[in-house]
Amino acid sequence: MTAIETTDLTKRYGEETALESLELTVDDGEVFGFLGPNGAGKTTTIDLLLDFIRPTAGSATVLGYDTHDETDAVRDRVGILPDGFDLWERSSGYRHLEFALESKNGTESPEALLERVGLDLKDAERPVGDYSKGMAQRLAMAMALVGDPDLLILDEPSSGLDPHGIRTFQEIIREEAADGTTVFFSSHILGQVAAVCDRVGILDDGELVTVDTIAGLRERSGVGSSLVVDVAGEPSTEGTALTEIDGVTEVTADDGRLRVTYADPAAKALAIHRLVESGPPIVDFETEEATLEDLFSAFTGVDGESVREQGAVADEPKASQKTVADGGVSADTDADEEEEEVVR
Amino acid sequence: MSTALLARKDFEDAIRSRMIWAVMGVFVFLMGIIAAGAATDNLSEAEPTEVIGVVANIGGLLLIPIMALLVGYMAIVGERQSGSLRVLFGLSHSRWDVFAGKLLSRLGVIAVASVVACLVAIVIAVGLFDDVPIRTFLGFSVLTILLGMAFTAIAVGVSAIASSRMQAMAGAIGSYVVFTLVWHPAVTAFHYLVEGNLPGLEAPEWYFFLLSLNPLEAYRAVSSELAGQFIWPMVGWQTMVEDIPEETLEEPNALLLSNRVSGDLPFYLSDWFAAVVLLAWIVVPLAIGYWRFERADLN
Repeated sequence: MTAIETTDLTKRYGEETALESLELTVDDGEVFGFLGPNGAGKTTTIDLLLDFIRPTAGSATVLGYDTHDETDAVRDRVGILPDGFDLWERSSGYRHLEFALESKNGTESPEALLERVGLDLKDAERPVGDYSKGMAQRLAMAMALVGDPDLLILDEPSSGLDPHGIRTFQEIIREEAADGTTVFFSSHILGQVAAVCDRVGILDDGELVTVDTIAGLRERSGVGSSLVVDVAGEPSTEGTALTEIDGVTEVTADDGRLRVTYADPAAKALAIHRLVESGPPIVDFETEEATLEDLFSAFTGVDGESVREQGAVADEPKASQKTVADGGVSADTDADEEEEEVVR
Repeated sequence: MSTALLARKDFEDAIRSRMIWAVMGVFVFLMGIIAAGAATDNLSEAEPTEVIGVVANIGGLLLIPIMALLVGYMAIVGERQSGSLRVLFGLSHSRWDVFAGKLLSRLGVIAVASVVACLVAIVIAVGLFDDVPIRTFLGFSVLTILLGMAFTAIAVGVSAIASSRMQAMAGAIGSYVVFTLVWHPAVTAFHYLVEGNLPGLEAPEWYFFLLSLNPLEAYRAVSSELAGQFIWPMVGWQTMVEDIPEETLEEPNALLLSNRVSGDLPFYLSDWFAAVVLLAWIVVPLAIGYWRFERADLN
């Protein structure tokens, strides 16, 4: 059975296209990562799946039920943690859970749910208006888990969470997945999607660019990781037959170094082995891992910055200089465009 | 089931709102002052039903509609704007559940407020007078509760259509402005176009009928008949746009419907028809509101 299936799902607002002919299948029981920069159409897709908005064209089923004609059946079986919501600030966290339990005929105890998401019972008794964003996020996650849903839809679940909270959520996702629950994980942060998801769909500007496993994405993108070897003397690829190794995509020699690019990490040990046996003496070696950002830009042509975790190191000095000069807010792609303007 | 659950939850949240208690406090305080003032007067000439005139004026024409609009205008658009509507839908509630639950809860709040207002009227009347016509007071109470519900329905209907808080606020304030400031001059202008002159003390029945389609006017006119005295609306358009003799300001009872229409009042100007008008103001805004809400993109 499929958990989510969309056919030609399209949403336009006037001239503007929010989602274009989405064809997406999420299998029962998998953890599916829905990745894309902010504004790519991720929330639009979720809103369509839950009938908050109606498609301009196409249709979708969730757990086999039509999202528009069988909305009630869908909502009964789905738990959702939406993006950007306020709860009812005058009411306590505990009361929120009771309401969720009554709404979904859940049998869990509020205490057990609180513990799962890492909320104190004492905090749960305070009105939600006093909560930090992270606490509200934990409470909403607890509410989404009520009634043991068959499908858990998480839209930017880590917003407002500290690293500890992010780990808690990842554990919950793994537990739910082990329990047979399908998880639809929408995020603009690559690292988090990669951490928990079986398969990833990349959405960019309203269009689904590709769907694959993380390993599959690495392989197909061509942005392999590389093994960089310092050798004594002039590097040469002669006689080592490095290119014949399965998983090696390219071997180059430059600047006293040998660079072996591979898509399959298993290839690097064999490469080292062959070099030791028949190549020039090895002085030193290191590996350069392709970042997930590289992966993303390979598929979308968009700079990886837009899907990098906030606070992560921007390791390209040139890029960060440009962003600072720009006021430090615009994404790199904008900075590039503006530089062109200046040159002209 | 789902509707009742949502209604109960929302009622819990709504009655924690300080705004509602503040408006109620202002009303009870004003009524207390008026009652204390009246208690020291010579009441031998006064009728107990005059209390209805005071309560209808401050409570019915001003505070209850405003309170109902305040209580209702954010009911649905508030959840929509804050994103908690998605949480509600995620908890397997449908659009109808949300609409009906919110409506019931807010109607409940206003019903409580209107009942309090009417109880205040009855308590004052019983305190000041020996012989109180309870049936008249009960009739007035029903009318007042209906008025509160009509304005709640208008506000919730507006709230279901609006896509932002500002839109809802504009709709709520706009509706009160139309009923108090625009309706009467507009009907008078229509009379001028049809008859070629301004309506005098005696005017055609259809003129009063058009006026009484306004829920505030329907309420005011029938309350006047019940109280046996002319109750001034918030804005006294009668003296501004109608061609009525100066002396009537001394004797405003001449402006009572029964004194302005020759013969018996037609059915569409009777008290029960006012109730029908108020019911229509409950049903129509809700029907339009839900119709639009059901089809809206809620993001």
